Amino acid sequence: MTQDVIGKWELSRRRVLGGAAAAAGLGSFGSGPAALAQTAGPWSQAPRSKVDRLNFVVWTYGDIYSRIAKQFETDWGVKVDTTISSFNDHPTKLTTMFAAGEKIDVSQSSPFSFPNFIEQGLVEPIDDLPGAAEYIKDFSNFTKQVATYKGKTMGLPYFAAVWVWNYYGEMLEKLKIDKPFATYEEFIEHCLKAKKDGVSRYPVLWVAGVGLEQLPGTWYQMTWNRGGVFFDKQGNHMLGDGSIARETLKFWANTFEKGLDISDPESLKVQFTTSAKAFGAGKNLYRGPNHHYGLNVANDPAQSPIAGKVKVHGSPGDGKTIGVTHVYFLSSATRDKEWGWKLLQYLGGRTKDGNYTQAVGLAKDAMLGSGYNSVMNSDAVKQGWAPWGDVPAILKMWDQAAYIGEVCSSVYQPWHFPWTDQVNIEVQKTLTGQITADQCCDNLIKGIADAKRKI
Amino acid sequence: MSVARHDGRWFRREISAGGFAFFMNLPTMLCLALVLAYPVIYAGYLSVHRVGLAQLRRGEFPFNGFDNFERLFEDRLFWVALKNTFIFTFITVGAEVILAVLIALLINQSSIWTSRVTRFLILLPYAIPPIANGLIWSFIYSFQFGFLNRILFSAGVITEPINWAGNPETALYAVTVPYIWRTLPFAILLVHAALQGIPRELYEQAAVDGATAWQRFWRITLPLLRPIIAVILILRTSFAFAVFEEILAITQGGPGDATWVAAWYSYKVTFSPPNNFGMGSASAYVLALLIGAMALIYVRFVYRRVTL
Repeated sequence: MTQDVIGKWELSRRRVLGGAAAAAGLGSFGSGPAALAQTAGPWSQAPRSKVDRLNFVVWTYGDIYSRIAKQFETDWGVKVDTTISSFNDHPTKLTTMFAAGEKIDVSQSSPFSFPNFIEQGLVEPIDDLPGAAEYIKDFSNFTKQVATYKGKTMGLPYFAAVWVWNYYGEMLEKLKIDKPFATYEEFIEHCLKAKKDGVSRYPVLWVAGVGLEQLPGTWYQMTWNRGGVFFDKQGNHMLGDGSIARETLKFWANTFEKGLDISDPESLKVQFTTSAKAFGAGKNLYRGPNHHYGLNVANDPAQSPIAGKVKVHGSPGDGKTIGVTHVYFLSSATRDKEWGWKLLQYLGGRTKDGNYTQAVGLAKDAMLGSGYNSVMNSDAVKQGWAPWGDVPAILKMWDQAAYIGEVCSSVYQPWHFPWTDQVNIEVQKTLTGQITADQCCDNLIKGIADAKRKI
Repeated sequence: MSVARHDGRWFRREISAGGFAFFMNLPTMLCLALVLAYPVIYAGYLSVHRVGLAQLRRGEFPFNGFDNFERLFEDRLFWVALKNTFIFTFITVGAEVILAVLIALLINQSSIWTSRVTRFLILLPYAIPPIANGLIWSFIYSFQFGFLNRILFSAGVITEPINWAGNPETALYAVTVPYIWRTLPFAILLVHAALQGIPRELYEQAAVDGATAWQRFWRITLPLLRPIIAVILILRTSFAFAVFEEILAITQGGPGDATWVAAWYSYKVTFSPPNNFGMGSASAYVLALLIGAMALIYVRFVYRRVTL
């Protein structure tokens, strides 16, 4: 975006006062929802420029986007067009629109695509925009790691999630097992017992469908939980002989058909929500590890025959797990930076009334975590999540979660995306017994150089 | 045919048949040039340039010679995708031709009553959008809840569910079935139309000469169907080479690389970050050349001009 547009943001006295009031307000964030609302601030002021319409390009999630678009139209009298595709198709939709020269005001990204989008010039930094500093102060640690790129803030948080296990409580009781596994050995024992007793043919459902954080995320999580990483701080891979990532993959592959045969074959197809729906059929004992909000589906009576019987469970050992934040960003192809920023705040920040409307709504309606500390500490989470799961237990896991980038630091690199394509292929081949875990890791080591060449 | 000039010096002259044909075809040629030739030529241009999102947005494409093709041929996944494409095409086109001839012969029999409903049902799959077809079959193939396993289990054919689309040994074959199911009606239509164009007298004369049903089929029907079979082979091969929707809906290339096909490869290279449009265009060009080569082979070895 050009400097002339940025130049329109002259700091008026009113804006300075508004910003100061907002900053002061942040200091008073407590646990009540009222503390989240800051009516006076840059978010409540109309941009000086005029636009007929705005748009955002996002992936589907219920009706949240039609609702927020409607609210924006009501508040500011500007029509908002929406382009919505599935999660896996979103990068394609966004990049083709960008390449075709279409106007895109606001979009969103997983942390895995984000460096690539930034490197390709899709994303506009937001540091200098009115009110941005207040948002940044409220960013959670995950959000800071995703939204900050080469020292600049490139987005606002969409949602945050941590990886947890689920188990089917009634099935565990039927097996006369008093509590879920505390070690991976126990996990195997429980699954073998469930299979032997005829309680479950495939006791574990993994989230191992092709994706950026479905199959790879499962491997990342278990590797991290066992004390391993994929790359060290210098960026060297940690996939060699005897590495924890490699041993974890061996353990994982052994649960499939050509090993212990306790893994549900559907694991290789299911994504976040579909895995929760499949688990709701009540045929598996364990599901995971995956995003915590799957409970919102598995314990929803409208979607799950075993609603209310799906419990959340932490990871073995010290309970280390991983977390992630997805972001909204201001597109460099925006038609008007002032209005684009305004729309971005509706999706990833405050609405005109000063509330984190979207973040609070997502917590209450969809059990999503927030990338803002103030929302995570609020009743929106404590009360909003309660119908679906054990909130204190999940929040404890939240505290033990490290950002996914600590496990796999390549997420900060533009070559992570093509390398993940290979991860999906090689790991699925390993899980289906076409190659060994050793071959898989060797191929992935070679693939790092190939992925870098593709950039 | 005459053409008049509008400059006041009116005169009449005959234009040649060739000129008239050219004149009448001009609008079609222009449309084809715009709709087909331009994108094809542009893709060729992109294939020898470095083209990512930033370059597309700026409209500046650095020339990089045959780098895209070199990288393409070095990519193991490209060869896997090509191999899978050949297997997929061989199975689907072969099955379509055989089934189309058999079904068309059946519904062409005046002695066999085929109601309009039956004919409608035969044509129905062709009206289903490919992506919807893929989704329908992904439900049918579902491991624990799919209709196919349920039917086979109920019939006592299997005792354990089969992971049709999730097993690398069956996934590619599993995807061929929905594709054949969707595209077969087109081939049936063509063969059926060709069958109706064969004069009945030929069969009557053959019957008088004592030819058996098999001899009539082998000596009369099949030779006269060769042109239409060549057309089906060319069309269906080119479409099968470019199969995409069923792959997207059922397997997304998985498990592993078991169902990566050429069009899926081009799509992933082009539209997934880092969005290498140049390399994607190169792979699409290789695919187009292969289809062209296959068409030439069909014309050379299958097509025969028929004179009655």
